[in-house]
Amino acid sequence: GVLAYLEMLETQAHQEAVEQEKREQQKEKLAMLKARVRKLRLQRDKLREKVDLQEKQQPGKEGVVPDPAHPIAPRDVVEWRIRNLQALLQLFYLTGISGKPTRRGVCFSLSTAYEGTYLDSYHLELCTNPQVQILRHSIPVFIPLEQISKKYLQTDIRRFLSLLSDHLNAYAGRRHQAEQLEEHFSDQIEGALQRNSLYNLLIFNYNIPRNAQTFPFQARLLYGDPCCSLPTEVTVSCTPDAPASLVETAASHSEMFRCVALHKAFQS
Amino acid sequence: MEKNICQVYEAEIQALEEEIKVLTEKYEEIQQEYTSFSDEEILKSIKLFQREILGENKGYKSPSNLIFQLENLETDLLFLMKFTGFQFTSHSKKTLERTGNRTVQKNRLSGKCHSLSFQLEFQLTKMQENVSSVITDLKIMMESEEGSDVSKFVSRAEECRSLLKFFRSISSYAEWHEHRRNTFLHFK
Repeated sequence: GVLAYLEMLETQAHQEAVEQEKREQQKEKLAMLKARVRKLRLQRDKLREKVDLQEKQQPGKEGVVPDPAHPIAPRDVVEWRIRNLQALLQLFYLTGISGKPTRRGVCFSLSTAYEGTYLDSYHLELCTNPQVQILRHSIPVFIPLEQISKKYLQTDIRRFLSLLSDHLNAYAGRRHQAEQLEEHFSDQIEGALQRNSLYNLLIFNYNIPRNAQTFPFQARLLYGDPCCSLPTEVTVSCTPDAPASLVETAASHSEMFRCVALHKAFQS
Repeated sequence: MEKNICQVYEAEIQALEEEIKVLTEKYEEIQQEYTSFSDEEILKSIKLFQREILGENKGYKSPSNLIFQLENLETDLLFLMKFTGFQFTSHSKKTLERTGNRTVQKNRLSGKCHSLSFQLEFQLTKMQENVSSVITDLKIMMESEEGSDVSKFVSRAEECRSLLKFFRSISSYAEWHEHRRNTFLHFK
């Protein structure tokens, strides 16, 4: 009856109010977005002008000629110097040994690379009082850190870091070669490479033509020098019933693995 | 219908923010590369800047973050130069390519390790995701006699683009050289 009708009118009115509010919110949002777009466009245009001006100036070897009408603000010089210093500090990372003095001593970063590719970096936090001590480090457990520390940490920190860097770089190099081999030549290798954590013993079965059914060659590479990324001992053997030609090939491979990086050997 | 307009605006906002970011980086990089200030200019600016800050804060002794950052960086750099023996006398870098995650930069660097000077030019490709850098194209210029140890490790490093190995080799060689020179002078 009447009550039901009134209820219906009320709900209708309520719904209309809700819709009206939604429309207003939408209008507001649109207006905000429009304003933001305008502001960003302005910012972008100003920047474009600045960059175009820079390009027109084409500064010569002497650099930007100071314009007496627009002297560079001290703050800009300070900010320039900050960026300049940050870039120089980043360069030390490329040299292999980088560090930063801390409250208690120094925190060193040792970076590793194989040829032109930079790999993992490792850290050591040292405190210098009363003696030089290692507080924390991220050196893997199979690197003889304690042995090297005992010998050089107290007497010659540079030598200590240099030797540690050699070990780490050789390990990283061996690991990189094995990983590259597995990534690019997996179809020539039977299963996965067998190796130890230090990556100085590798054993795998392989074949030369790709996608072959059998893997007649077995290679065993021993890297006797922990600071070297080439093996000291290589044995390539064939199955006992292999023809003489294969045995000959195995011998030449053996030679090659001793002189050429593993993944490069497979490339040729 | 309105939802579409919203989306269009939002898309444009994103595009503009990205463009602004790229333009700002480009501007700062060129500014960085082509400007150069002498040590005196830098010191003068630091003093002027500090006075500006004091003026702004009307005597409240709040240290400027920028000056603090600057001093920390100077200390860090001084420490590294003293410890490693490497001094970089000039450095410039230019972005050749920037796409998505990849940035290729050309770097020119001159410096010395103890008393051995060198000049390098190399291209550095950085991938944002694996935080790895690859050197493509390395040129090393160093004074050395043909056939000497130095020329040997220089040509080997250039061949394999092993920048890190070059730095490590030059560091050992320079230290050994220094040590030998000091011993020699001691006995003179």
